[in-house]
Amino acid sequence: MATPPPPSCVSASLEKQFEDFRVQLDETASVRERIRAVVMEMAATVRLMNARLLLVHHSLPNPDVLEKARAQAGVLKGLFGRLAEILRECPGQYYRFHGDWRCETQTAVSLIEFLHWLDTGSLLMHPEAEKILGLDPSEFGLDIEDYLIGLCFMSNELPRYAVNQVTAGDYDCPRKVLKFLTDLHASFRMLNLRNDFLRKKFDGMKYDLRRVEEVYYDVKIRGLGSGDSDTRRGRQVTMNQ
Amino acid sequence: MDPLLKMTSGRNPVEGVGGGRELKRQMLMLYAACSQRLSSSLMATKPQRLHQIASGASILGSGKKPRAMTTSTATSDSPMREEFAKYTDYLNQLNDKRERVVKASRDVTMNSKKVIFQVHRMSKGNREDVLAKAENDLAAVTDQYMSKLVKELDGTDFWKLRRAYTFAVQEYVEAATLCRFCKAGTLLNLAEINASLLSLSDESLEPLQINVLDYLLGLADLTGELMRLAIGRISDGEVEYAEKICRFVRDIYRELTLLVPLMDDNFEMKKKMDTMLQSLVKIENACFSVHVRGSEYIPLLGSSDPNYSFLGLPDLES
Repeated sequence: MATPPPPSCVSASLEKQFEDFRVQLDETASVRERIRAVVMEMAATVRLMNARLLLVHHSLPNPDVLEKARAQAGVLKGLFGRLAEILRECPGQYYRFHGDWRCETQTAVSLIEFLHWLDTGSLLMHPEAEKILGLDPSEFGLDIEDYLIGLCFMSNELPRYAVNQVTAGDYDCPRKVLKFLTDLHASFRMLNLRNDFLRKKFDGMKYDLRRVEEVYYDVKIRGLGSGDSDTRRGRQVTMNQ
Repeated sequence: MDPLLKMTSGRNPVEGVGGGRELKRQMLMLYAACSQRLSSSLMATKPQRLHQIASGASILGSGKKPRAMTTSTATSDSPMREEFAKYTDYLNQLNDKRERVVKASRDVTMNSKKVIFQVHRMSKGNREDVLAKAENDLAAVTDQYMSKLVKELDGTDFWKLRRAYTFAVQEYVEAATLCRFCKAGTLLNLAEINASLLSLSDESLEPLQINVLDYLLGLADLTGELMRLAIGRISDGEVEYAEKICRFVRDIYRELTLLVPLMDDNFEMKKKMDTMLQSLVKIENACFSVHVRGSEYIPLLGSSDPNYSFLGLPDLES
């Protein structure tokens, strides 16, 4: 009765399977480690780019500032290239590791969007943003939700920019920002969102819009802006919304 | 205004400079958007989807109306709307798909639970019958509900929607492995489950393959069920069987301790490991009690309602 059972005969195939799992999970863990290393660099780059771009708040538009920030966009492109290369080893698992680079990607999008807006005053669309970050949608694309969240982050930056530009003497800036933000906000309203992070960020966008409206109003009421009639119409519209 | 002119201005946004003409252009676009929405809502058969689309249309409508006034200055923003229309489609499709996956998952979970309960109806005399019925039920779950889930996920990135189906898959793994253990006393391998899933859909469409993580999470749950089963067997006098379960659970626990640190996000798994150890200790204590007090225990067999208190386990259901 006291004889111990043989170290279980179930084990053979059982052990084999778990051994396979171990190998498999080990590989995954090493992939993840490499991804995290790249993402760390990415985070540093994004911080640097952000710090350089923050200089736009200090003065009137300065091509030098933008140029320096743009240099970082090139670095980001290289880093995304490395991520894509790692992911090429495990096809179909983009979303397994997605959470690892999500945050950095969203910030990166917001920065390149802001940069692009400073340059051209227009919005960088999803395919163009992919191009700038050197992403190939067929293998390592830019998740649309990440892109949209990046846009929301960018919108958070705009009220501050408008305020500081006015202080620096550009009284026409709030009008431009307001027009852009109104369009962006209206476009976002076309989306049917779930109750998730994107929704929350979008809900915050209206406060940015309101702040810019206030700035615009303050400038306008003192007769400081250039004051063409179109902008007034634009403003009434945003109030109606 | 000349209707022809109206049409051309509607088609060519660059031309739109006059306010009235622009307004009409917008109305045309709005009308086109609405009719498009309407036709898609007519195609939808499910009432809640209809509702969702209808509310989406109203949001769209209110978003469009003010635009009819703003755009006299800006024709350059229509590309933005065009792009956002694409994002809208993308998000709508993704959300619809997610909803369908969640629904299919709920069916899998519910019915897998039923299979597990069926296994627990086993007792000394009716094991074959009960297990045959359980296997039958499991086959039905696979054919009816798993196949739906698999088809829903055909050819997509399984990781993207994992959160929507992970619990269903875990429950299914639990039911399938439990049936296998009771039948053959062995562990059903992941490869075997995945092979059976392949036949549920067209193989060229890359049907759902259960990933290692969900399988292991399912196994962790399995040990809880095995604990219940072991206690039931002991109270039924099948001590041998309980000891077999005990060894099996020990094996699984030991193997899993090596794997847990390697798993993707192992918070949930760590919790399950604690529970698993508790279950294992419960089984071991029960086996111990029977072992030590075996002679006193045998007469209890005749009693029709099983009395667990001698095992020192006041609450077995927890």
